[in-house]
Amino acid sequence: MDNKRGLFFYLKLYGKIVVQDIKSKMSYRADFIISTIGMVATNISGFIGFYILFRNFPSINGWTYDEMLFLYGFSLVSITPVQCLFDNNWSLRINVYTGDFIKYCFRPVNLFFYYQSEIFDIKGLGQLAFGIGTIIYAWSRIGLPVTFLAILKLIIFLSTASLVMIALQNAAAATCFWIQNSFYVLDLVNRFRDYAKYPITIFSPVFRFIFTFLFPIAFIAYYPSLVILRPNEIPLLTWLSPFIGAAFFYVSYRIWMYGAMRYNGTGS
Amino acid sequence: MDNNEKPVIELKNISKEFKVLNRHEGLKGSIRDLFSRDYRTVKAVDDVSMTVNQGEIVGYLGPNGAGKSTTIKMMTGVLEPTSGQILVRGNVPYLHRSENAQNIGVVFGQRSQLWWALPLIESFRILKDIYGISDQAYKDIQDLYRSLVDIEDLLHKPVRQMSLGQRTLSDILAAFLHDPAIVFLDEPTIGLDVSMKAKIRELICELNNKRNTTVILTTHDMGDVDALCRRIVIIDRGKKLYDNDIEHLKGFFGSYRTLKVRMDGDLKKKALKVQNEFPSLSVTGDDEWISVLVDESRDRVVDVLEKLQQSHNIKDMQLEEISTEEVIKKIYEGAASPSSDSEGA
Repeated sequence: MDNKRGLFFYLKLYGKIVVQDIKSKMSYRADFIISTIGMVATNISGFIGFYILFRNFPSINGWTYDEMLFLYGFSLVSITPVQCLFDNNWSLRINVYTGDFIKYCFRPVNLFFYYQSEIFDIKGLGQLAFGIGTIIYAWSRIGLPVTFLAILKLIIFLSTASLVMIALQNAAAATCFWIQNSFYVLDLVNRFRDYAKYPITIFSPVFRFIFTFLFPIAFIAYYPSLVILRPNEIPLLTWLSPFIGAAFFYVSYRIWMYGAMRYNGTGS
Repeated sequence: MDNNEKPVIELKNISKEFKVLNRHEGLKGSIRDLFSRDYRTVKAVDDVSMTVNQGEIVGYLGPNGAGKSTTIKMMTGVLEPTSGQILVRGNVPYLHRSENAQNIGVVFGQRSQLWWALPLIESFRILKDIYGISDQAYKDIQDLYRSLVDIEDLLHKPVRQMSLGQRTLSDILAAFLHDPAIVFLDEPTIGLDVSMKAKIRELICELNNKRNTTVILTTHDMGDVDALCRRIVIIDRGKKLYDNDIEHLKGFFGSYRTLKVRMDGDLKKKALKVQNEFPSLSVTGDDEWISVLVDESRDRVVDVLEKLQQSHNIKDMQLEEISTEEVIKKIYEGAASPSSDSEGA
């Protein structure tokens, strides 16, 4: 839609909007403190559940506790961007239903960008810190070497995983342009995200196929983390996953924009 | 600025059709609808043409569901017309949405486009970047705003803490910020008190004056129309009914005058009786007066008065010119029932 304005323009604009947004959120101190506490509690309880499970099963399908911990941390970090930057997808359904979505259509900037830039969910940052901590801890416990190449791989595949997650959510949110009750679609995608924490080999072949090709959550943590954890048994799909991630993201963006462009709005 | 006679908006034979599913009643009907291909076509806008020049304030009127919003959406580029041609500053809005957005400002009375949590000044700063407003232009427009309204109170208040009036005011200021050629105002005074309405009207008038901005105003409040518009366009059922100066309006649809009489007894009940005596006229009663709307091209006020006097004891009377509001009401009613006798007027 808008090709005249480059990446730099959008990055600068995004930075400005986010700084303002954070500033205004921090001005409501009680609200900010309570949501921070809530976020910490959520992460701790999630981790406790994980810990209790592995007290009883020291390994699942050849995956040790530390490897699973790595996978867990990996999935936490990879869902952070979708949570922080694309949280407004959750409100898309309401905005479309009430007709408020039309107010986003009058600015000379990319509609997708403009819509998503409105909300920055600061709570995701705590999860990011927690996830990074978990990765570092698991990394040292497994005794993986810390090399520049390993860290580069980690960053590349974390980005890949994030892209897949974002793509899934965009596509799910965009269904509201066609169907009334798209909340269930979005909620379903969000629930499936939980399965991303586990190695795909524990599932039956049918689900393995579904999670790889139809509902590509295996790309969120499993395939990318193989690169770090099991460098000797990497399936071809892993090396393709950065491209698949980028492709998924692009397709989801097109779907979202296509839906937004055929949006008519309600009467006023 | 541009030459006053240069058209900024040109609509040529614009139509917009929507496909609507024919819905069936009951649960069985709903299930049928799931698989139904039984569509009918609804013409929301039907062969509308008009030209708007730079600096004009045009009142775009019509009853609910007349096709106003659809036309506005086509001019802003959100909708693509089914047929016909639209040019907004030489641009086809739907094909060049971003370029078009740079030339227009939009305000919806009920939907703020500002950042909810941010103080107005921060919204302005973000808009400055979005529209690429130069530092000088930004400073100029702020100086202009300062001279027109008491802006200091607003600037540092988050939008969500504002009253509806302050929010509308802020939205209007935000819409004019990038000095657009055209501003679309959709019911800007809806839900506001009398003094705020006056303030908003004054602001729109001043901004139009100072910046020569074209304003397309949709409203149901005839006070807005009387205060702001020299020209009005009326649309109903997708068709353009009227497009001319507001002065012509009163004569165009018959020359109406309101005869007000006072008599003894319950005026509301009496009004019903009078209505029965004059079935072709519209009669209303309130606590003080019985009002009879007379179309002078068909009936003489004197005749009506004389006839009234024969059967009622009239204590007082007044004669009033019809207000814009009543004319518009007349037009809407006439258009809504094509068989009625006011159609040909």
